[in-house]
Amino acid sequence: MRKLALRNLLRNKLRTLLTVISLVLALVLLCFLTAFLDLLENTSAAADNRIVVRSAISLATPLPEAYWRRLETLPHVTGITPLNWYQGTFKDDRPENFFPRFSADPATVFEVFSELEIPAEQLAAWQQDRAGFVAGKALADKYGWKLGDQIFIKGDIYPVDVNLTLRGVFTVPAVPSSERQVFFHRRYLEEAMSNPGIVGTYFLAIDSPDNVAAVTKAAEAMFVNSDAQVRAETEKAFQLSFLEMMGNVRLLFTAIGLAVIVSILFIVANTMAMAARERTTEVAVLKTLGFSQGQVLSLVLLEALVVGLAGALIACGASALLIGVFSAGLEKVMPLFGTLAMTPRAWAIGLGLGLLVGLFSGLAPAVSAARLNIVDALRRVA
Amino acid sequence: MKIPFKYNLRSLFVRRGTTLMTILSIAFVVLVYVGVLALAGGLRVAFTASGDPRNVLVLRDGAKTELESFFDEEKRRQLAALSGVAKGQDGQPLASASVYIIQILKRTDGSESNVSLRGVEPAMFALRPQVALVEGRRFEPGRSEVIVGQSLAKRFPGLRLGNDIAFGRVRFKVVGVFDAAGGSFNSEVWGATRDVSDAFRRGSSASSMVLQTASPEAAARLVKVIEGDQRLKLKPMLETRYYAEQAGTNAQQFVILGSILAVVMAVGACFAAANTMFSQVSARAHEIGTLRALGFRRRNILTAFLIEAGLLGVIAGVLGAVLALPLNGLTAGTMNAVTFSEISFALRTTPNILAGGVLLAVVTALIGGFPAALSASRRQITALLRER
Repeated sequence: MRKLALRNLLRNKLRTLLTVISLVLALVLLCFLTAFLDLLENTSAAADNRIVVRSAISLATPLPEAYWRRLETLPHVTGITPLNWYQGTFKDDRPENFFPRFSADPATVFEVFSELEIPAEQLAAWQQDRAGFVAGKALADKYGWKLGDQIFIKGDIYPVDVNLTLRGVFTVPAVPSSERQVFFHRRYLEEAMSNPGIVGTYFLAIDSPDNVAAVTKAAEAMFVNSDAQVRAETEKAFQLSFLEMMGNVRLLFTAIGLAVIVSILFIVANTMAMAARERTTEVAVLKTLGFSQGQVLSLVLLEALVVGLAGALIACGASALLIGVFSAGLEKVMPLFGTLAMTPRAWAIGLGLGLLVGLFSGLAPAVSAARLNIVDALRRVA
Repeated sequence: MKIPFKYNLRSLFVRRGTTLMTILSIAFVVLVYVGVLALAGGLRVAFTASGDPRNVLVLRDGAKTELESFFDEEKRRQLAALSGVAKGQDGQPLASASVYIIQILKRTDGSESNVSLRGVEPAMFALRPQVALVEGRRFEPGRSEVIVGQSLAKRFPGLRLGNDIAFGRVRFKVVGVFDAAGGSFNSEVWGATRDVSDAFRRGSSASSMVLQTASPEAAARLVKVIEGDQRLKLKPMLETRYYAEQAGTNAQQFVILGSILAVVMAVGACFAAANTMFSQVSARAHEIGTLRALGFRRRNILTAFLIEAGLLGVIAGVLGAVLALPLNGLTAGTMNAVTFSEISFALRTTPNILAGGVLLAVVTALIGGFPAALSASRRQITALLRER
């Protein structure tokens, strides 16, 4: 039985090959779409015991520096650090030269972001140099920066340009994609603008994830009657809010994915139908020999499933390989806040849909082969 | 002698099941291509409809967007007094400051996004004649009233006509809904400059200034004048350029996505077309042999099968384009990557995009069909005729 199905597939090698290739291409596409969506929704870099406090109006509106001391008084808060998105332009406007640049507080930033690791003497050197900066290792490697090197960033959001000296390089063993950022002294920026005392976001470390909800509520309540109300949320919710602003990305991707699947279903179903039609006489002979309806059905179905499985396996293997190559290339032209990877969901989509396409495409020809009337079939000339 | 076209048409029809499935698989490729590019097309239209070639937009030097820009009243007075600025019917310069702010609001589906709020001066309406009220009335300065672009009014329940809504520390009343002829202002809330800056304690600083001149040439001259003035330290640019850049930044991602998808899917569909054409050829070996025996040449056979493949492509392309047509006019919203705020736009399946889709289908079918057509024309008559 099984042998017969495999032999049938090899009968028209070209056709089987063409079908598998088109199935592979479609599945690779779906794996990429899924991996990309997973990257956008990826919040693994978010700590579950940190909350973000920002202006309730929007991220473009800063909070007063005075909130720092007040937020510190909240129970369960073990650390607090301000971060301002400085942005600016490094070298030129090309996307490959874009990376996050924050003005930060050197005394507290590495305490609150405890997953960031930096040698103690480098941290001390940075803390002592107001015009110093620290960079993630991936970024320092990309530009070949060494301690003592100077960089110039032109301001855009802030009407101030900065000249910075590299004092330290940090690593983030858990999330290497977080190594693509730069921190410099917030006092440098503040003084250059004659001390407006503004903070973009406060990051609060909480003693336990269980207390996060309570602190979030308390932080918002603290400023509810003040001029600058705040929004407090978990780091994860904060990251997801960016995706939410982009509108319905998931719907767009799902719609595209569906069209791809429908298209590939037609392709594979077409091949299966062609294969089955050519063998009408043969199926009749098998039935004459005593093969049951069920056996004929499973014979044709098996053939389709093998095509589906082969396509799925090749596609997933190829995707895993290609995604690695692609994401390395992508990081050069368009740095993302993460690394594109073949996620479990991408594996599931690739394998599952491959098999489903095989099953559905084989169904109609299998049923009609099983129902075939021997006498009619033998009389008919293919 | 050429093989009659009717032969091709009928041959496709004989194996209509196979033909239909191949057509559908290619049609869906076209559908995806047209759909994604319609997003890019819609975004482009929304931004290009916003700029006027006679207008000059002025930002703080160093700022890239209105969101980052601010400068004081004194500089705005100097700008409005420049000689290149046109005068309105009331004799006042056609110049308006904007206080541009973004604020988080809830969409109808409960998700959140930043919404653009723009404080404008009365001259703004004279400057932008395309902005027309569709419901209610204009805001009155000093009374904390706003009018809302009609895309926003639909997507954000808080912005419906008659609603009270908090912007900053003040509650505003929505007194009108306007349409800006499909432009990106449809995704903005407008109020009076003073009311908006008070609500956010912005003092007398504004984000940008738009100046209207008599002609596009005069606008280019005015840009030079402002650029040359070292005391102002401002960045003037043609308004059309400002919006074209936003169009580019925002549409580009969809163009890239659409192109990658189209190419990969088309290659896949190419193989499907190859399959179909190969099976056509093998099923019709006897027929081909007969045609050859009748005196048709190898190149006639090649052409005939290519025409057949092309025909398959044309039908698939047109079908895909027709399937994509209902997408035209659908509204979608996304984040304007430049100002970080909600931008609503209508999908546009422009003739160019549709034609591109049909072309994609034809090329796909031709490339897919070529190997089969070639093999059909290469085979020996005797071998062909021997087949059943």
